[in-house]
Amino acid sequence: MSLRRLVAAALVPLALLASACGGAGGDGQSFDDNSLVIYSGRNKNLVGPLIDKLRTATGLDVQVRYGDSAELAAQILEEGADTRADVFFSQDAGALGALSKHQMLAPAPQELLDRVAARYRSSEGTWVGVSGRSRVIVYDPRTVVAPPKSVFELTDPKWKDKVGWSPTNASFQSFVTALRVVAGEDKARQWLEAMKANGAKSYPNNVEILNAVDDGKLQLGLINHYYWYEKVAENGPNGVPSRLAYLPGGDPGALVNVAGVGMLKGTEHGEAAKKAMDYLLGADAQKYFADTTKEYPLIAGVPTAPGLPPFDSLKGPEVDLSKLDSLEQTITMLQDVGLV
Amino acid sequence: MSVRRIPAGLLTPAAVTAALALLPVGYLVVRSAEGGLDAVARTLLRARTLELALRSLGLAAVVTVLCVAVGISLAWLVIRSDLPGRRVFGILAALPLAVPSYVAAYTWVAAVDLEGFAGSVLVLTLCSYPYVYLPVAAALSRMDPATEEVALSLGRGRAGVVLRQLRPSAAAGALLVAMYVLAEFGAVAIMRFDVFTTQIYTSYRAGFNRTPAAVLGLLLVLITLLIVVTESRSRGRASYAMRGNPARRPPVIRLRAGTRALALAWSTALAGLAVGFPLAGIGYWLLNGSSARVDLGELSGAVGATLGVAAAGALLTTALAVPVGIIAARYRGRTATFLEQSTYVGHSLPGIVMALSFVFFAVRYVPAVYQRSPLLVVAYAVLFMPAAVGAVRASVLQSPPVLEEVARSLGRTPLQTVRAVTLPLALPGVLAGAALVFLTAMKELPATLLLRPTGMETLATQLWAETGSGAYAAAAPYAALLMLLAAVPGFILGRRSLKETS
Amino acid sequence: MRLTVTDVTKAFGGTRVLRGASLTVEEGDLAAVLGPSGCGKTTLLRIVAGFESLDSGSVAIGEREVAGLPPERRKVGIVPQEAALFPHLSVARNVGFGLPRGSAERVEECLELVGLAGFGDRMPHQISGGQQQRVALARALAPHPGVVLLDEPFNALDRSLRVSVRDEVRAALKRAGATAVLVTHDQEEALSMADTVAVMREGRIVQEGTPASVYAAPCDLGVATFVGEAVVLAATSDHGVASCLLGDLPQRADGVAGKGRVALRPEQFVLRAPGEGVGGLVERVEFFGHDAAITVALEPGTVIRARTRGDVPHRPGDRVGVTVEGPVLFFPE
Repeated sequence: MSLRRLVAAALVPLALLASACGGAGGDGQSFDDNSLVIYSGRNKNLVGPLIDKLRTATGLDVQVRYGDSAELAAQILEEGADTRADVFFSQDAGALGALSKHQMLAPAPQELLDRVAARYRSSEGTWVGVSGRSRVIVYDPRTVVAPPKSVFELTDPKWKDKVGWSPTNASFQSFVTALRVVAGEDKARQWLEAMKANGAKSYPNNVEILNAVDDGKLQLGLINHYYWYEKVAENGPNGVPSRLAYLPGGDPGALVNVAGVGMLKGTEHGEAAKKAMDYLLGADAQKYFADTTKEYPLIAGVPTAPGLPPFDSLKGPEVDLSKLDSLEQTITMLQDVGLV
Repeated sequence: MSVRRIPAGLLTPAAVTAALALLPVGYLVVRSAEGGLDAVARTLLRARTLELALRSLGLAAVVTVLCVAVGISLAWLVIRSDLPGRRVFGILAALPLAVPSYVAAYTWVAAVDLEGFAGSVLVLTLCSYPYVYLPVAAALSRMDPATEEVALSLGRGRAGVVLRQLRPSAAAGALLVAMYVLAEFGAVAIMRFDVFTTQIYTSYRAGFNRTPAAVLGLLLVLITLLIVVTESRSRGRASYAMRGNPARRPPVIRLRAGTRALALAWSTALAGLAVGFPLAGIGYWLLNGSSARVDLGELSGAVGATLGVAAAGALLTTALAVPVGIIAARYRGRTATFLEQSTYVGHSLPGIVMALSFVFFAVRYVPAVYQRSPLLVVAYAVLFMPAAVGAVRASVLQSPPVLEEVARSLGRTPLQTVRAVTLPLALPGVLAGAALVFLTAMKELPATLLLRPTGMETLATQLWAETGSGAYAAAAPYAALLMLLAAVPGFILGRRSLKETS
Repeated sequence: MRLTVTDVTKAFGGTRVLRGASLTVEEGDLAAVLGPSGCGKTTLLRIVAGFESLDSGSVAIGEREVAGLPPERRKVGIVPQEAALFPHLSVARNVGFGLPRGSAERVEECLELVGLAGFGDRMPHQISGGQQQRVALARALAPHPGVVLLDEPFNALDRSLRVSVRDEVRAALKRAGATAVLVTHDQEEALSMADTVAVMREGRIVQEGTPASVYAAPCDLGVATFVGEAVVLAATSDHGVASCLLGDLPQRADGVAGKGRVALRPEQFVLRAPGEGVGGLVERVEFFGHDAAITVALEPGTVIRARTRGDVPHRPGDRVGVTVEGPVLFFPE
């Protein structure tokens, strides 16, 4: 019985002790002011090996914080000037644009910016794309003989309840921005409303849409191209029944978006940050994006992975990816239509 | 109990707990105010806001009602009937707590053409009915058979009188379920059912504009408080539940053969759907992907980190919950009510809102703990406080206050009395509450992602990373280990619900 | 120590439970607070113990005013209704709860005091209800409290056990020399155990005195009927004589002349041969061994219950004459 009392009495200080010890060490790496901290909105599975290469190649002491791009951007905004991030590695341009707009990003060296075509980097020079991904239509060849050639065909009644999309997903929202630029505000809104009326199904992300098409629950889906290649890598070519349709002729559904990096304004590791960005824009890393994540390298001279259509064959619309204000109008439109 | 002054030794730590729990609200107020009245009004008056609020409430209502029905029926069969294998079912009934709702949702979506409202209801009910089962089973086994016998002798059925006595425990469980559903995001997103939290996440993810998200968060807090206040009104004053005569155990009721077969089918189906199905889903991931690889270093690191922060979280949560729980059980008046109800706020908010508010305060005021595990542990405490407070309150209520009065008259101060009498007697219940927090913390994802030390991965964050790139086979070991580890406290909770009968 | 309660009032919400209750218990005395349920006696006890605050008035233990003090600083021992032993502690640790560490001797002494030497290692659920109650007393006495409060401590016990436990508790209190207050609604318990009895009604102590004096000279009709059985008859008083249907009876004390009522105790009735006193018919004889109760229907139309010695010569249906012995209680209207 005295044991019971002892346990009860010990409970309170023990908890404090345990949490204090937890802080002192014992989990992960402890925080080190001398490391370069990268907030990565890109998946650990996809870029973890690349970061290891970066460490070896540059000799930098790098720590990575993985998370969702938008959530990490929100976290950096909350952290403000005291942010622990030195470099933000984002899944999409929108999150980088948000940080840039809030004056959180420092200008990148011109030499780095110049390695990438102007449309794949910030017009203010605060971030730069490191890999490209194309919007595509994924379709189920078991039920779809002739996949659509344009997103505008998706409002056709024959696709009623057969199309999957992801209105809350950043890459989809970039596509809607492209749609507004290409087709105009009114037409974009009409398209969204027509799609909604045509029973387009909302999914939380690209992976879920792809799975639904493969499971035969959808006939068509709007996704980024590399999700399909990743799934083929996971399940084998026979494990993925769906196929991709790259849209021609500057269709907004063929938008080429980027994953990119920016350096935080308050960083005390500016040189290291530049070194890391330089590595990501170098031949080694670009080859990694091409071969491993099946994305499009953005610097000249690095070939696209076999099996993908060549980069210059992609005919996406011309959109300034750094225009965040434009993104906010997209959100407003999606809200007005009742999609988010 | 009369309105007595709460001793400072309880009031001070309870006030600290309440202040911690209310921190996120402070953050939401700051961020809402930033946008100005216009932005607030625009967010609130959007038609979609109302629509989604109603959807969330509808979902919460349906899931709660179903959980109450499932929880009570299962508890009754396990504790009071001669259901074959009822001890096994009693333990199985607690195990769904070990299944992360997002894992369950993934497996359901992958295997069955089920989504939207129905899918969300199914997954959330299967994952959260133990919140009702556990307190109801405990109450059933403590129930004094005399009242039932009186009802029978008066020609009434026993159901009415039993249900009336179960009301406080069922209501406490239902409250947790309702709040859990309101704050849930992952499973409903996978089920493609837009709810109130969807809009909050979308505001953060897409708009990078924090005002709408904050306004919606505050609205969610208000809705939750409304539910909490309603529940506490229904709880009324009759909250002192003394243990029945320990020598008298409620009789076991013989089921007729047909009923027994039905009951067996029902219990088996529940266990199969809630526990067996997600396990099978994970097995399927493992067999059908090529990404299956186990990095033992990463795996053991994640196990260590998960157990470490979850255990610290359970201990801190329990330690913080003890003063509030005792006050809630032993004192009346506005202060006591305020302290208890404030602890529910954190639980009602989606993880990301909670996490961002902790980012906000930690970076500004305690940068030394930012992105260190103590902060994550504190965040767990705020998120899971209601379950712990409820456990403390219920177990303190089980021992009569006269014991504490005797201790006082023998020269012990209120705090010494808590240490020498109240806590030792309530300890089993308090530890059960800690076990519940422990397993819930193990599964936590959104706050863990934002607040963990850089470089630290838990089983949940690893699972998130693997499934995020579609590497389900690689995710399987993490999911399996997470469920296995969470099943240990789940098993203890399930067994405890049986123990009181034997 | 001497306990002095002066003019204590207490209200819960709008309900006034205590309306100026005063009580004095001399050092070493066992006082019973006797009253029907709801009269406020338990509240009074809780106020003395410090579990409730008082609205006005004072409570002093010895020379020390304790009204503002928390329970733990009052040195008041408590024996609650159902013993309320700490279920997680052994008997010895229950008794030693209010003592500093290393008081094993005192614990053993107290257990001896209540006749439970050697029971120290048992757990509360391993001993009987009566033993639990005695452990509760030992626990209360152990720290040498100024006052011991007993809150209907025999209620939960079987009838057969009650009398013996009562005697043991009284003996233990006396051996310890403790000042004690026993709260009860049982007049037999109060009269038989206590040195003084305080009768409580509607939030006030209406009479204090020795059991004999309260019984023999109740301050009003209510107290008279509450502290013991009585036959109440209409009467007219004049110069110390009350006239009622049993004749002209001497009053216990001179009082106001005029109309009122007399209260007659069962043992005041004497049954005689028919023709003596007032005639009546024996209806029922209850035989208890040491004495008997005989119900008689008087000819003028009233039923009385008389207590006589055990060897009753009467049978139901017998005609008897009834006279009254000793002075009677008269209460003017």
